[in-house]
Amino acid sequence: MKKKVLTVDDSRTIRNMLLVTLNNAGFETIQAEDGIEGLEVLEGCNPDVIVTDINMPRLDGFGFIEGVRRNEKYRAVPILVLTTESDAEKKNRARQAGATGWIVKPFDPAKLIDAIERVTA
Amino acid sequence: MAASKTGSGTLQLSAVLDLNEASVLHGKLTSMRGSDIVIDASAVERVGAQCAQVLVAGKRAWDEDQKSFLVEKASDAFEKTMQLIGIDTNNLVAKEL
Amino acid sequence: MDMNEIKEIFFQECEEQLAELESGLLKLNDGDRDPETVNAVFRAVHSIKGGAGAFGLDDLVAFAHVFETTLDCVRSNKLEPNHDVLKVMLKSADVLADLVSASRDGGSVDESRTRGLVKELEALAKGELPAGGHEAPKAAPAAPAPKAEAPAPTDDSGFQPIPFTFEGFGDDEEPAIEGATYEITFKPRRELYAKGNEAALLLRDLSRLGEMSINCDMEALPALDKMDPEASYFAWKISLKTTKSEDDIRAVFEFAEWDCELEVKVAEENTSDEELPMTPVPFDLSILDDSAAPAEEEKAAAPAEDPAANAVAAAETATGVAKAVARAAERKEAAAPATPAAAAAAAPQTIRVDLDRVDRLINLVGELVINQAMLSQSVIENDNTGTSSINMGLEELQQLTREIQDSVMAIRAQPVKPVFQRMSRIVREVADMVGKQIRLVTEGENTEVDKTVIDKLAEPLTHMIRNAVDHGIESPEKREAAGKNPEGTIKLSAKHRSGRILIELQDDGAGINRERVRQKAIDNDLIAADANLSDDEIDNLIFMPGFSTADKISDISGRGVGMDVVKRSIQALGGRISISSRPGFGSTFTMSLPLTLAVLDGMVVTVAGQTLVVPLTAIVETLQPETSAIHSFGATQRLISIRNSFCPLVDVGRVLNYRATQANPVEGVALLVESEGGGQRALMVDAIQGQRQVVIKSLEANYTNVPGIAAATILGDGRVALILDVDAVVAASRGQSLKPEMSFAATG
Repeated sequence: MKKKVLTVDDSRTIRNMLLVTLNNAGFETIQAEDGIEGLEVLEGCNPDVIVTDINMPRLDGFGFIEGVRRNEKYRAVPILVLTTESDAEKKNRARQAGATGWIVKPFDPAKLIDAIERVTA
Repeated sequence: MAASKTGSGTLQLSAVLDLNEASVLHGKLTSMRGSDIVIDASAVERVGAQCAQVLVAGKRAWDEDQKSFLVEKASDAFEKTMQLIGIDTNNLVAKEL
Repeated sequence: MDMNEIKEIFFQECEEQLAELESGLLKLNDGDRDPETVNAVFRAVHSIKGGAGAFGLDDLVAFAHVFETTLDCVRSNKLEPNHDVLKVMLKSADVLADLVSASRDGGSVDESRTRGLVKELEALAKGELPAGGHEAPKAAPAAPAPKAEAPAPTDDSGFQPIPFTFEGFGDDEEPAIEGATYEITFKPRRELYAKGNEAALLLRDLSRLGEMSINCDMEALPALDKMDPEASYFAWKISLKTTKSEDDIRAVFEFAEWDCELEVKVAEENTSDEELPMTPVPFDLSILDDSAAPAEEEKAAAPAEDPAANAVAAAETATGVAKAVARAAERKEAAAPATPAAAAAAAPQTIRVDLDRVDRLINLVGELVINQAMLSQSVIENDNTGTSSINMGLEELQQLTREIQDSVMAIRAQPVKPVFQRMSRIVREVADMVGKQIRLVTEGENTEVDKTVIDKLAEPLTHMIRNAVDHGIESPEKREAAGKNPEGTIKLSAKHRSGRILIELQDDGAGINRERVRQKAIDNDLIAADANLSDDEIDNLIFMPGFSTADKISDISGRGVGMDVVKRSIQALGGRISISSRPGFGSTFTMSLPLTLAVLDGMVVTVAGQTLVVPLTAIVETLQPETSAIHSFGATQRLISIRNSFCPLVDVGRVLNYRATQANPVEGVALLVESEGGGQRALMVDAIQGQRQVVIKSLEANYTNVPGIAAATILGDGRVALILDVDAVVAASRGQSLKPEMSFAATG
């Protein structure tokens, strides 16, 4: 069965890269452009894993993660943070918000797939 | 306490035994206490450690009640994950090394 | 979609981000302190950096990184975005834009400028204030840059490079396996599960590192009725025989190490082999492991901390992308047949459509409008009652077609914002070059106009802005001497007015020096020495073709460099341009342009049996010449007197070679037109059929360029009519006619 990935990123470039990488790796991919849309899309898409950016308009990655963790149905879904921020502070905030793990940019498909496989069955 | 105290019941485990399922499973088991139980693990695709905890605690409770607690038709995934995390599927105890 | 297409998207997105960046910085410059503005600016640079990293665009990544670091200081209120700071940031935005173009088109950038700005940005991030926009002084006690914080423990380095291993040498011969046996204690806390991590998966990953024996410690598990199903009670003691290092083992717990107790140590030598009754756990992981673990070498790519290393990593990533995609593609082939529909992304908010398709639609709708008008006309002519239901239906149809037309036009309509934003960079650069302080204020940036108009507007506008900066605004000293703010202001505004777009360019400079302009015009034989001209007429002399070519009039405190070219470009767009000036207070250029180039309001006329369309914008008035008003002048020239002034008559039929001899003006109609250079001419046509909106069909695209003809159109009855190029006809009339072999008569 195909694993379903919800990606949340405001950059069209990164969205396309995620789409190509994930589809090629045999994942089903659903995409949202910011945290608000991410929470909207989440309802009913039942992803196996979520990949989200941090810096986004309207609702950033921290807010989005908190939103998912508060969601009764989807609070257990693993969330990977895709971010260029490699500093500890950003990671800590993401973890406190409830992130499962992270992928440090620059975007590397191998790292992405690896991280997804680490947090999904 | 909906389940009857006599006879035996069957508990069909869900496909995904994750964080969310742990509370559900705990509730179901609690409500079925007092009778023999058969756990049908044939549909299980994923097992998390927390559901395993609930199952082990359930097994212990049934032992205490001197009722039978049987795991039947364990799926491959169930069998393998339990083995991986060091639980003997037959007795739901830590595997003897 | 392949990587090249994504790269194309990346560059498109860069353009958008750069525009976002610039408008945000300009807002900050105007005193906007909304945190969202700062965030948007930061995001723009951040996003460019992110994408650039994925494509290994090292220079871009490196610069964006420095820029982003400084912006982060603003975001965290460590740096006040005052004018000096923003000056550096705006220049950095320009450099970033240059780096983007260089990455896309392969050009080069001014490296010394980039380096200089990197220094300035770094100085800002360190809390050093810019010294009047010049390079910051090399102040001694440089505070540590915010990025230089000590890296966090193991989590930051992520995966460590993996030492050479001997895997594959002794897979089936136990004694040959080098390495050690580790004893690992792992006790998760409930947070580990709450954050979506899973002990079972961590143990799975651990088991992949070597031979694992496991003991589940259930001691802490309470009775069923006492337990919290979401708490964590189990702990594990693991013995792992592996060739991997301790770091590799810890890397498995990378995401989880804060939320568990973890101990990893090498087992005592003497107990590891015989004493412990540990048996390997032989099980098949195939179910859990439905996709191959990534190649170890990929794991070795450690996330880089500093920009230089980042750049290297980025370069490696580029090849990594290709590799991974290729590998993933193989995997996909092996997988069950995928349904493309299921993999589709959520619907995007915009679609990209080929411009040609839109143009085709616009053409068709234009024709629909005309067709509908013709239909209405013939129904009205044949229906005496005027109250029939057909009439009402036709009215509805008319409304609908108009609405369709407007909606279709709106597809091509875009805000003038991008062009306006480009201007602000030009103002900055030219002002810097000539040592002036100038602020560009824009208004009505969201006014929409056809994309073609926008595209063609940039060049003349650039020209005018350069002129305004170079010649319009005075030097700070002169301004101060005149009691003005040393900082000049150029205002660029756009608005819709009666179905056209009005663009105004206003400066608060010295205005046109009419004496100088007049003298220049006399010197260049553009006007007679004793010509009696109004102020407005003098101002408009700067649009005359001969005015600027005479010499470089850079000291004229008005303008004049190439304004004839500007005027021609505006006219080619079906627009008009005029200037008004107040000495000492500045000049205002006003341009009025059509909202679209797809349709045109025209006057349909007859010339020698042919139907022609004259653009309405060119026509000042129409008149019926009387014999007394016609005066001959030389052999072929004739003039018409209009309100005490003389205006040359141009016989359109003659110019286009539709007829061999000049028509009698009294039998026709004169269209007074304003042509290139501001002069008026009376175009002679035989009759006026009416006014109509016509769909413009390019002759170049469908036939070939024809002198004197701007384009063609199809009338409601299916006939082709040519649209007159008024300027060309007027120009040709000076040389008698267009070349005979080029004569052209409409057929059809």
